[in-house]
Amino acid sequence: MTIKEIEQQIVEEFSIFDNWMDKYQYIIDLGKSMPVIDEAGKKDENLIKGCQSRVWLDCREEDGKLYFSADSDAIITKGIISLLIRVYDGHTPQEIIDSEIDFIDTIGLRQNLSPTRANGLVSMLKQIKLYALAFKEKDEEKAAAGDNGKYSIEEVQKNVIRALKQVFDPEIPVNVYDLGLIYEVKVGEDRSVFIKMTMTSPTCPMADDVVNDVNNAVSDAPGVKSVQIELTFEPEWDESRMSEEARLELGLM
Amino acid sequence: MEDNRSKILSEVRGMVPALSGKMNGEPLVYLDNAATTQKPSQVLDFLSDAMVHSNANVHRSMYELSDRSTSLYEVAREKVRSFINAPGRENIIFTSGTTASINLVADTFCRRLKAGDEILIEGDSHHSNIVPWQLAAERNGAVVRVIPTDVMLGKGRSGRVAFEELDSMLSDRVKILALTHISNITGLVNPVGEIISKAHARGIPVLVDGAQGIVHEKVDVQAMDCDFYAFSAHKIYGATGVGILYGKTGMLESLPPYMGGGDMVETVTYQKTTYAQLPLRFEAGTPNFTGAASLSPALKFAEDLREGEVGKVLKDEEGRIISFMTEALSSDPDIEVYGTGENKAPIFTFNIKGVNAGDLAQLLDKMGVAVRSGLMCAEPLINSFGANSALRASFAPYNTLEEAQTFVKCLNRAKNMLL
Repeated sequence: MTIKEIEQQIVEEFSIFDNWMDKYQYIIDLGKSMPVIDEAGKKDENLIKGCQSRVWLDCREEDGKLYFSADSDAIITKGIISLLIRVYDGHTPQEIIDSEIDFIDTIGLRQNLSPTRANGLVSMLKQIKLYALAFKEKDEEKAAAGDNGKYSIEEVQKNVIRALKQVFDPEIPVNVYDLGLIYEVKVGEDRSVFIKMTMTSPTCPMADDVVNDVNNAVSDAPGVKSVQIELTFEPEWDESRMSEEARLELGLM
Repeated sequence: MEDNRSKILSEVRGMVPALSGKMNGEPLVYLDNAATTQKPSQVLDFLSDAMVHSNANVHRSMYELSDRSTSLYEVAREKVRSFINAPGRENIIFTSGTTASINLVADTFCRRLKAGDEILIEGDSHHSNIVPWQLAAERNGAVVRVIPTDVMLGKGRSGRVAFEELDSMLSDRVKILALTHISNITGLVNPVGEIISKAHARGIPVLVDGAQGIVHEKVDVQAMDCDFYAFSAHKIYGATGVGILYGKTGMLESLPPYMGGGDMVETVTYQKTTYAQLPLRFEAGTPNFTGAASLSPALKFAEDLREGEVGKVLKDEEGRIISFMTEALSSDPDIEVYGTGENKAPIFTFNIKGVNAGDLAQLLDKMGVAVRSGLMCAEPLINSFGANSALRASFAPYNTLEEAQTFVKCLNRAKNMLL
């Protein structure tokens, strides 16, 4: 059901009652039957500011849809949140952001609350939308990072270096990383990899092969989305760029 | 007897139009009198008449309209003087409310304090008799100390201030005592006269917050011997935005000017200004002169409710309300009343176990019953009972036993809905 349809359902339910005491009784019963949130969920950061009674609201995302849980030390307040949760639960962040709910006014709830509680209601609605916005941003970041979103930038960086250590210079029996041919490894937000590298000499006949090998190895590294390689001879490579292991390997130390 | 009672009650209530009003379609049961009282026709008519026939700034002009306005203002000052039996008009200063009155004293009196000096306040204080002292103390390193309640001491649950602690707290460091005549939460009447004698024996002046006391007790400031007494017009049937500060002449004269402006000066030059005599010295700027003037009919109404046959009937009614409420609330094991014992004004603050006070107030509102919920500007006191909010029903002399019964019936209905 869409948010609008659920709202319509609530409006119909409330139309059965012809006086506010019965409506309140219904709200109170909703509050009582709401699943209790455990103490861990009653964190200060989940407390909604602007409510006279204390209200906690938590939100989690499952398969791109948001689910809320809440609690309050006031049962009427709890009943009202349960209505909000019923409307918003199981919708995407975008649907929640786009929604303009009016059932609160249609059933006369806003007019029948004390001003302090009406302000609290506004604060709750605001908090729900803030959650939706936060999850939307998170989702967009993930989408931008593609399937590889499960690897952090640091992890991808490590994986790229591990891959570079598997590529050997055709003439010297040392990998391109320890040899000091790699000037820069940059992993972007979207896990695209940029590598700036050089050759031991500008006239190296195997340059293309080496760049190809690097490209293949890094592309296959876990978490990498794409690879871009820039070959440079500025500054020029010299022996001092080799790692200690490399120099040891070559008997230079 | 019963005929006489209902006749007098309906006459009194007939004078206060708001009481026959409705709330959410139900007959209004107004039980938030500790917050503000409803106004009698005498006050309402006076206000509208004064706005039409006597509206001109006071103490300033030569024309008749201004004379009339000034006269109404000064007549009201005289009315206040006689109502609390102050010695003279110079002892009555008009402010904007009890809060402003206490701030005036806290700010000006405490300028003479030094680091380590002490200000004593009570554990049942309203925020307006706590915060002004904290602000004043901060300025020169003075200390605000609290005379605890039995609850704060872990010695009981009555909410009564443990004045037996006072003997060990009074020392040469104590420079002023800020008492509460009647707590706006517990409704308990504090033995201010006794405490004042003790303080005076050590030369310590005493301010009394009379916001509630002025309504429920006959106040004679000379008999009480307090140095300052503060109260608000709106809690005793007058207009909002008007307060009174009574001060002994010597005490008021010892205070430096508070706010500067018009009316509080004698002569002004750019080099030196001299100040007006009491009481105008503390009334800078245009006062709420119409509101202040409404104290004449308001205090007359308060007197009428205390005197003669009417006074007797209303006093009896108050006694019955207190007995009924005490019995009804204490017979429910789920209810804890904050403020129990003898000598209590009809102010009942309490919680029902497992029920939120805000929820109760919300449902009572729908049943036409106006009560307060929350902290009632006395957070430390409410917290001391282990609560972070409470419900308060506070009665005025115009309330009836039937209203108390309606309240309890509605309370039980709300409780059953919520539990």
